[in-house]
Amino acid sequence: MRGIAIEAAVSQTGPRVFDTLTLAAIPPEDEALRAQVRALAREAVAGMALDRRARSWMGFDPAFSRRLGAAGLLGLTLPTEYGGGGRGPFARFVVVEELLAAGAPVGAHWIADRQSAPLILNYGTEVQRRAYIPRICRGEALFCIGMSEPGAGSDLAAVRTRAERTGDGWRLNGQKLWTTGAHHVDYMIALVRTSGGPEDRHAGLSQLIVPLKAPGVSVRPIRDLAGDAHFNEVFFEDVDLAADALIGEEGQGWAQVTAELAFERSGPERIYSSHVVLEAWIAHLRAVGRTDDRAAALVGGFAARLAALRAMSIACTARLAAGESPVVEASLVKDLGTAFEQELPLAIADDLAAHPDESADTELVAALRYLTLVAPSFSLRGGTREILRGIIARGMGLR
Amino acid sequence: MSAFLSPFEAMLDKLFLPARVRAIDAGGDWSPERVEIEQSGFLDALAPDMALPFAEVAALWRAIGRRAAPLAIGKAMIGRSGRDPDTAQPVLLAAAISGAADRVLDMTTAYAGERSQFGKPIGRQQAVQQQLALMAEEVVAIRMAVQLAADCDWPTAERAALAKAVAAMHAPHVASTAHAVHGAIGISAEHDLQLYTRRLHAWRLEEGGETAWSIALGRALLASDENALDWIRNVLF
Repeated sequence: MRGIAIEAAVSQTGPRVFDTLTLAAIPPEDEALRAQVRALAREAVAGMALDRRARSWMGFDPAFSRRLGAAGLLGLTLPTEYGGGGRGPFARFVVVEELLAAGAPVGAHWIADRQSAPLILNYGTEVQRRAYIPRICRGEALFCIGMSEPGAGSDLAAVRTRAERTGDGWRLNGQKLWTTGAHHVDYMIALVRTSGGPEDRHAGLSQLIVPLKAPGVSVRPIRDLAGDAHFNEVFFEDVDLAADALIGEEGQGWAQVTAELAFERSGPERIYSSHVVLEAWIAHLRAVGRTDDRAAALVGGFAARLAALRAMSIACTARLAAGESPVVEASLVKDLGTAFEQELPLAIADDLAAHPDESADTELVAALRYLTLVAPSFSLRGGTREILRGIIARGMGLR
Repeated sequence: MSAFLSPFEAMLDKLFLPARVRAIDAGGDWSPERVEIEQSGFLDALAPDMALPFAEVAALWRAIGRRAAPLAIGKAMIGRSGRDPDTAQPVLLAAAISGAADRVLDMTTAYAGERSQFGKPIGRQQAVQQQLALMAEEVVAIRMAVQLAADCDWPTAERAALAKAVAAMHAPHVASTAHAVHGAIGISAEHDLQLYTRRLHAWRLEEGGETAWSIALGRALLASDENALDWIRNVLF
């Protein structure tokens, strides 16, 4: 029988899918950063309402970012010769975990620290490295990501924003969309077409650093369903850029973006987006003394999932530390992690609604309302659930 | 990887081919296999004078689950340790689930690449790919929870609860996805898939399923005065 013949072909001991993700530990010297970060994070969120803290990496506070920079907590993975920490991904894991768990406003430096600086280090010229990385490490140069466009969301290769060579540089025309932070930050690293057309797909794409104060750039904030304005439309009309706006190689934008997205997807931020309400709810259960089986089962189930996800995220960090670009592994952790982040506010709100007599704190209720509305974005930003599962399927040899 | 894993796997591969597993499931006598395993010395893996690191023993237990071999092998190891079986047994069950889940994922991925409908392997269909990707995530989560729980001299009650809660909460979906992708052939008795999915369900419930172990973990967390992240870091990592 067909099925049986196939079964016989499956080796008893053959290679196992995703064996690359295996238990790893945070080195003690990196763990040692925790107390310092925690103190800074506590100071930053003191007196801040829970629903503000729930915004975390949408929270924009350049002064806090500069404080982190002054404390040497930005650019941890970057070489010291460019002002970085000269440490590794585990140091960044500890710092990011503490900042997110506290709900600290990390949005100002978030993109620059996470992906722009590593991108510039990997693909930039020496001049570009010296021009941007030290300022990023001080929290003084803030970046956003120019990927999505009206006709290019998940299908990123469909970008139509175009840069054409002029005598001494580039002229940029087009539009980016859903660009988080563009109304506040200094630079965008934009994925644009420098040759060919949409039919050429991954060929002909390049990345340019665009100063957002340049003439011809206009930024229009878009209000979101929670009333915030964190993302934007960005228009480019004959924006003239110097030749060294090009980052990396002309035509290699796709490969660069793929590597950049591995940084974007592999951090612990894909576990902790709803963390502040988990902590507040547990504090609430303790305060009202509700420790029955039903509450304990919910709490324990979340703790178990969080522990497994944290172990997976640390395992992914170990691949980064080994110098790999764990594209598939990061997708796997992000997809499972965002499902967890999305479920937390729904389940906690349902639990509280079943106990109206407990009169839960209004801040907790507001934070739950906020997270419930924005949670769908957790599995959109940085690659949709469907795109990530497609990447995983490719890693499994299915496509 | 432990130097002990390969010989242990080779021994299990020889002793517990699917046909043999079926015979044992049908109530067949496996004393010849017992004797060979006894002679191998592996039953003393946790014995005081030999004791391998607990993490290495958990890897042996995953190998048992992967082959649907008798869990009595793992239980005998625990029995000879002279230590608290109550925190080791849930890790054994979770490790066995992890091994069986790995196996079921491999079988399902291979089947999706072989079985053709609409003129192409079903694994080329996005709907199937999306299900397999999620299944892979769950398989990795189970494996990671087991590795985390076993990364110690002997599991605490909290580590045991973590491993079994995570393994049990994902086991049914791993099994149901495997069956969804295999179609009717996977429901047949003669296909080997059921050897493993049957165990995923049984091992999930043995000594308590995800709710029982989540309650244990949740009670411990609620009883502490630490925030959740610190508690998890201090107690489980």
